[in-house]
Amino acid sequence: MDYSRRDLADRLAAEYVLGTLQGPARRRLEQLLPAHAGLRDAVAQWRLRLGPLSASVPEVVPPAAVWQRIEARLFEPSSKPATAATAAAVSWWQRLALWRGVSALATTAAVALFMVASQQPAPQAPIIVVLGANPEAAAVMNASFVASVSADGRALVLKPLGDVAVDPSRALELWAVPPQGAPRSLGLVKGGASTTLLRAELLRNTAAFAVSMEPAGGSPSGAPTGPILSVGKLQL
Amino acid sequence: MSVASVENWSERSHLLAEALASVALGDRAAFATLYQASSAHLFGVILRINSDRSQAEDILQDIFVSIWRAAPDFDATRSQPLTWLTSIARHRAIDSLRRRKTEPAMVSRHAVDADGEEQDRLADLPSHEPGPMALLQQAGEAKALGQCMQQLSSEQQQCLGLAFYQGLTHAEVATHLFQPLGTVKSWMRRALLSLKDCLGRAAVGPDSQV
Repeated sequence: MDYSRRDLADRLAAEYVLGTLQGPARRRLEQLLPAHAGLRDAVAQWRLRLGPLSASVPEVVPPAAVWQRIEARLFEPSSKPATAATAAAVSWWQRLALWRGVSALATTAAVALFMVASQQPAPQAPIIVVLGANPEAAAVMNASFVASVSADGRALVLKPLGDVAVDPSRALELWAVPPQGAPRSLGLVKGGASTTLLRAELLRNTAAFAVSMEPAGGSPSGAPTGPILSVGKLQL
Repeated sequence: MSVASVENWSERSHLLAEALASVALGDRAAFATLYQASSAHLFGVILRINSDRSQAEDILQDIFVSIWRAAPDFDATRSQPLTWLTSIARHRAIDSLRRRKTEPAMVSRHAVDADGEEQDRLADLPSHEPGPMALLQQAGEAKALGQCMQQLSSEQQQCLGLAFYQGLTHAEVATHLFQPLGTVKSWMRRALLSLKDCLGRAAVGPDSQV
């Protein structure tokens, strides 16, 4: 079939989204999608057209067992050995030593700040926080990041300084640390490239940002469990 | 008609898009958020198409296992997250019907369940729930799509409703409506064309006509 014919591509896309394109014909179309921009556009447009039809289908809450089976299928083999590590990592954010270490990083911070600021002559200057390597975690990994937070506190871009190589069984998780209380997870971040995060209020009640090393998939407990690799104080 | 513009997204879409972006990095907490925010909708959509509850649960499970792996493929410039998730769910549910069906492409009200026992599928359909036509009307209440739907003949509306909500093929719709296959195919084709035209005009035209 000649998928480059526009009316044909459009008809197939419509039937695909409606659900009447079936079996081998549907699979052929799915295989073609990545290489065929016109077809992809047509599918996107039909999804936009017919998508609202699904909105009226009554929601049905699935039984809790479904989620348990999903988690078991995806995570079971690797999710066991977290307990011992959790007990050892006594609320690191309450330890003062960590904050003393932060000031020692000021020189690195100044250099990095200049570097980042000179690259971005932004009209509304973002807030730059340098997350310097935590000396206490030097044995595990030496990793530094620069976070730039938009002035409205809704977007954050975290760049690793140099390539931070992470073992596939581990993940890096970014935390917003309040002046008091437990840190909030901002999600997993990449070691080898920038990560962009969008949140409602990144700066509110945030005294520092920190990156911890967690098991693949992120902290199982909602609080940091692994070593804190880098920390940066927020100075407004 | 422009492709989904992110500025017009609902809160839920933003939440889902963010969760998907984090899931793409392997973030389990975000995966749980994604599940909480979308599973009831997707389960509802699946049950419409495959009313066998235990099969529907398996499908939902498979879908989320695939989403965990396919999350990096989600492209926010091309579709809204829930639309993307729903299309995965619909296609999986439709596949499950095809697999279950025997050779002739017809809908039988009798199906064999997981225990090998014959079941009347009509008995599984929750009777208090709205049928495809009622859903079409509800879907349209808020949107231009509804106005355009109303311009279609009732046969055309029925065809689209049966295909979209219950995952029927052209042949099954024809059987269902006691019409020749060719007639149903041309109803559907024309219905889709008029929808496209009508929605195109609605997107361009002034709101004052509403």
